[in-house]
Amino acid sequence: MSEPQADFEPKIVAFLCKWCSSAGSDLAGVSRIQYPANATPITIPCTGAVSPMYILSAFNKGADGVLVSGCHIGDCHYIEGNYLARRKMHLTMELLKFIGLEPNRFRMSWVSAAEGAKFAQVVTEFVDDVRKLGPQDKLRKVVSQ
Amino acid sequence: MEKILDKKQIDGWVAALTEHPQGVGRGCNAAEAATTTLWEVHTPALDEGIWTYQPANGTARLDHPNTKQSPKEFAFPQREIFFSFEQIKGEAPRLTQIVPKEQRHAVFGVRPCDGRGVPRMDKVFTDHIEDKYYTSRRKNIAYVGLACNKPPSPNCFCLSVGGSPVSSDGLDVQMTDLGDRYFVKAITETGKAMMAAGGKLFADPSAADQKLLKKTHDDAVAYPQRKINDPDGAPAKLRANFDSPLWQEMAQACIGCGICTFLCPTCHCFDINDEVHNKAPLSGQRVRTWDNCQFPDFTMHSSGHNPREGTGARLRQRVNHKFQYFHENFGMHQCTGCGRCVSECPVGIDIVTVVNKVTEHVG
Amino acid sequence: MINIQDIRDTARDMLAKGEARMVIGYRRGTRGMLAEPAFITDPAQADDLVWDPTCFNNLSLYLVHDKKFLAHMRENPKGPVAVVAKGCDARSIVVLLQEHYFKREDVYILGVSCEGAGVVDERKLAPLLNGERPSAAAFDGDDFVFTTAAGEKRLAAREVMADRCLECRAPYPKEHNLVFGEDKTGRQLEAPFAALERFEAQDAGQRWDAWSQHFDRCMRCFACRSVCPMCYCDECVVDSITFPVTAGTTAEEKATRIKWIERSATRSENITYLMTRAMHLAGRCTDCGECERACPVNVPIRMLNNKMEREAREKFGFEPGASIGGPSLVATFLDSDPGQFIR
Repeated sequence: MSEPQADFEPKIVAFLCKWCSSAGSDLAGVSRIQYPANATPITIPCTGAVSPMYILSAFNKGADGVLVSGCHIGDCHYIEGNYLARRKMHLTMELLKFIGLEPNRFRMSWVSAAEGAKFAQVVTEFVDDVRKLGPQDKLRKVVSQ
Repeated sequence: MEKILDKKQIDGWVAALTEHPQGVGRGCNAAEAATTTLWEVHTPALDEGIWTYQPANGTARLDHPNTKQSPKEFAFPQREIFFSFEQIKGEAPRLTQIVPKEQRHAVFGVRPCDGRGVPRMDKVFTDHIEDKYYTSRRKNIAYVGLACNKPPSPNCFCLSVGGSPVSSDGLDVQMTDLGDRYFVKAITETGKAMMAAGGKLFADPSAADQKLLKKTHDDAVAYPQRKINDPDGAPAKLRANFDSPLWQEMAQACIGCGICTFLCPTCHCFDINDEVHNKAPLSGQRVRTWDNCQFPDFTMHSSGHNPREGTGARLRQRVNHKFQYFHENFGMHQCTGCGRCVSECPVGIDIVTVVNKVTEHVG
Repeated sequence: MINIQDIRDTARDMLAKGEARMVIGYRRGTRGMLAEPAFITDPAQADDLVWDPTCFNNLSLYLVHDKKFLAHMRENPKGPVAVVAKGCDARSIVVLLQEHYFKREDVYILGVSCEGAGVVDERKLAPLLNGERPSAAAFDGDDFVFTTAAGEKRLAAREVMADRCLECRAPYPKEHNLVFGEDKTGRQLEAPFAALERFEAQDAGQRWDAWSQHFDRCMRCFACRSVCPMCYCDECVVDSITFPVTAGTTAEEKATRIKWIERSATRSENITYLMTRAMHLAGRCTDCGECERACPVNVPIRMLNNKMEREAREKFGFEPGASIGGPSLVATFLDSDPGQFIR
């Protein structure tokens, strides 16, 4: 693990479902709720469409933390996408933990379109947790010279 | 130069090479030698159950059978960065060539088959066109060989391909294990300089040492090995059997992995890719990596057509390259008989059997 | 105890009567004691078949090869392929059937029970033979018997068996057309997931230290992928053919293309490859352990798959290769799936 750095600003990749969490982040924005600007949002149709490959690839390309956020259980626009995501993401998280990656670098949350405040809170907490861990250099591609 | 080195003195010799004030290397005169860095010594070491070349850290361990991977990686690493590039919109692209570092490497414990791989790789990378990345590494490498008193692998067949368990081809120094001491022979000028660096650690061989060396070498050559029955006739017969159905039959079990070629001391095919790191401004590196004729996509065209569609055509390419094409180009078999591809194949494809079957096939 | 002659007779009969167009089994190889895959179409060659502790290969892989080859040739020959399958191999066939890779009637499973044994692990065997090189291996009750130049060497099977066989819960092909040997399901040589649990007892830092070295050693020969019957994708994310580069491809296009994994065998790329593969095998891997055996640089690949297998079993009650009509792991869910990790 790297030493925490005072000026370290974590890079977070956030996969947000189009129907809930992405709208939730919009609500946080229009409600002028303050939260850290570290997360790069990537809108996806549904958390069920998040391949574990996306998460591995985000870490590979330099993310310090990866967030996957979608509709609450029972609210999926595609009925069961988030149920499938729950399973896949559990397996992904277990595998990442297994090889020794800090569990706090990967997070999943349910944020509905009405939960702007919750979205801000999830991002704030996640950024704080990742900041404590310092830069992610285990899975990151090393660019020599 | 022929000397005796007590086994207890090997650490001293390694130290002398890494600490000698005036190292001497290939293409390096005395003045340069005084300013260039010393030898980095590599020795076989057992790591996670496999023998690999590791930095010596003060000692050379020479009790290995043979290393899992051949020492080709020193002159031809699996990944070589050619240059880095950057393009800022509206400006000309900026290229920065990345030249291998000038550092001399002494590789200890090289078996004769792997030693014979060296001149074969030299041919590939210097004939007609010089590959600067290869030669700039190669000129800084010395191979310190270790003769095989008995075949280190049950699938050794060096005698069948013009080699020998006591061959010094491609080596700078040849060592032979005589029990409590090594018989050390300089093969090249670099080798002489390396031995000179050891100074008084080396003793002159007695008549008894010479006699024991001869006996050890004679015994080594007499030790039974696997056999390719007609290596001299192979090129012509492989040519004649190019369209034989035998190929598909023998390659039916092939799974198309890269073990045989990645472990081979003479396989040298590569791929070149641009690894893009940044989209704005566009930057990245052009990188050469090992490739492998057994991968289905090796010959894949962008149209989707694949001229070597089946495993048979791909096995034929590997075998013919070793025993026909290379022979036609350079007058020697490319295979040096280390037996790695035979021992490590997960499905039992055996180049000795394949060559024997094809050369004995009348078609 | 299996009598090999029974398997040979069956194979010969099937080929002679046209009940199978090919029998895939094991025969003696040309390098020492190791058996190798055999593809038999001529009834006269049925006597080449062998059954011994070196019959490692998961031959269901060749059902996949056969299917791909026929699709390429646009051929549709009559009759099934008969295949010799151990417990784990038969479970692989079940997964392939589950995924509709081929039809049940396309394959005739000649099941072989490993009974009280399994396959030998050459890495465990070598140090016990004092440099002797065995020319043959045979089952004998709870022992393996190796033929060497110095005579016969008898070793307790448990001492030299592969971990995957020691930990095997079902060394018997439940799905079969014909089966040889006794059903010894439930035999307990070592606790399931024993190797995994030993490794997991370490803390995260130690686990990373170990895995980072494993990932560094990987040279991306893809033997693990090639030897796996479940790795049948026509396009794999690590292959360059997924996005071919032509003379007309501009630098801009290259830059904006998704390249999941670079060709370089560096740690980060190896991690992405091996982890992606482990994820893709979750719920599909039947622990034949061929990936780990084939690996020339001893990366404990099986452990990643084992980790997924145990998670699926404990958290989702999922058993890979249990029944042809059963659900797949990641295309189903239960209300009771764990969700405590979600904020």
